[in-house]
Amino acid sequence: MAAPGSEITVLNPNARHNLGVGIFENCSVRFTGSVGYYAASLLDGPEVVIEGNAGWAVGDNMMSGKITVTRDAGASAGSTMRGGELFIGGDAGARAGISMKGGSLVIGGNAGFLTGFMMQKGRIIICGDAGEALGDSMYEGTIYVAGNIASLGADATVEEMSEDELIDVLTVLEAQGITDKRSFTKVVSAKRFYNYDSLERLEKSAL
Amino acid sequence: MCGVSGILHKSPASGALAPVGDQLIRMLEPMTHRGMDSSGVTIVGEQPEGDFVVRIWTDSPREAADVLSRAEDTIRMVGGVVCAKRNTGQFLRLVINYEGETAELAAALLETPGVALHSIGHTSEVIKDVGTPVVMDERHDIAAIRGTHGIGHVRMATESIVDVNHAHPFWAYPFPDVSVVHNGQLTNYHKLRRMYEDQGHHFQTGNDSELIAVYLADKLAQGEGLEDSLRASLVDLDGTFTYLVATREGLGYAKDEWCAKPLVTMETDDVIAIASEEIALLGILPPKMVGEEINRVEPQKSEVMTWLL
Repeated sequence: MAAPGSEITVLNPNARHNLGVGIFENCSVRFTGSVGYYAASLLDGPEVVIEGNAGWAVGDNMMSGKITVTRDAGASAGSTMRGGELFIGGDAGARAGISMKGGSLVIGGNAGFLTGFMMQKGRIIICGDAGEALGDSMYEGTIYVAGNIASLGADATVEEMSEDELIDVLTVLEAQGITDKRSFTKVVSAKRFYNYDSLERLEKSAL
Repeated sequence: MCGVSGILHKSPASGALAPVGDQLIRMLEPMTHRGMDSSGVTIVGEQPEGDFVVRIWTDSPREAADVLSRAEDTIRMVGGVVCAKRNTGQFLRLVINYEGETAELAAALLETPGVALHSIGHTSEVIKDVGTPVVMDERHDIAAIRGTHGIGHVRMATESIVDVNHAHPFWAYPFPDVSVVHNGQLTNYHKLRRMYEDQGHHFQTGNDSELIAVYLADKLAQGEGLEDSLRASLVDLDGTFTYLVATREGLGYAKDEWCAKPLVTMETDDVIAIASEEIALLGILPPKMVGEEINRVEPQKSEVMTWLL
């Protein structure tokens, strides 16, 4: 059904789980209502719009593609995503971007507890406030917050933001029609937890 | 996993109770994937023809009639009068007049051979059984029970056996009308259970969720308010939990500091609805609201809330 270039509309999704999973074509899919857990997960290519709320782990492990959730997302939005763009129009629950390995996660509202937990790569932009333990144990990647940060997680630290970065972030937000956020707090890993005594196999071969 | 649900009608027209039983089943049924081992509800609001409704279960189908008559003897012995009785297989429901302490009645019933006590309530009762909500409804005609509010549960057993007694809700022995449903695991269960047993509290099962009922009973006995008790539980209970509590006056929830178990709430002009998943909330939308955006909120870490009638 999800052939390249096709446009699919799913009526009455009724907050059911596992909708729009494992689509590898450049098609577009629209859900006219809320979806349940793992919606639009394991994607590689498509553009998905969810007109409503999403349950836990929307966009889990996305490789590439674009997902828009018009309202709120449950916990673990964009968990382990490796590429693509996930936009949450409203608030995101706890652990958004947990173990994220690439791509952009943009949250129009507030982000919950432990956002960016163990993040390894990529970018999270939060237009509202961030909950407690932001960026806890993150390895790499960057989090930008326009609102307040309840608290930073272990080994997360605030860093000065360059003008180029600001332009990047503003461009991403502009594409979502968000133009009223002009300043951000940038959060990265302080890397005090970096105590590795050996390199991984691929890292060794790169030397 | 497990699934929890709750509903409260904000201002029920006097004398006209809402179809709470039907609504709880309609919320639990689409969450059956969260647990198929057992199901249960507490429905609050119906005024019985007596002081209390007592719900009893007995593990022997053949002895049900004997257990019922023994329970009646016990009630008479502590000064109560049985107004009405009904047994559906191993499930016994008694309506009684009784003016003594509920703790004395509950203790006497528990000492009665064959009796497992599921609840004592002025205006509420706990009904729970093995199997899915649909099966439970077929056996107990839950959908026909009306009320002002209630809570429900589907269980996927993770830490104790599957039987009727280990199903949720758990009644906060010996407090009339207080019961809980829980999704999660309590990691300091054994430690707290030993402590409460030393203090004379009673446990009927090996289910860790029963601890929450005992915990709240203990707090309420010390004169603490419901919301304060829920808040204190965030510190005292260790592990992952989202639980709902029903009392005679209303509903409440508590969600742990790890934000590990799901919960969404919805408020309309008429009702407060709470459930593990949005699909449960959509199950009870009035026809005029189907397809509309609902006011759904996902509670975050360390949150408690109560709604009282």
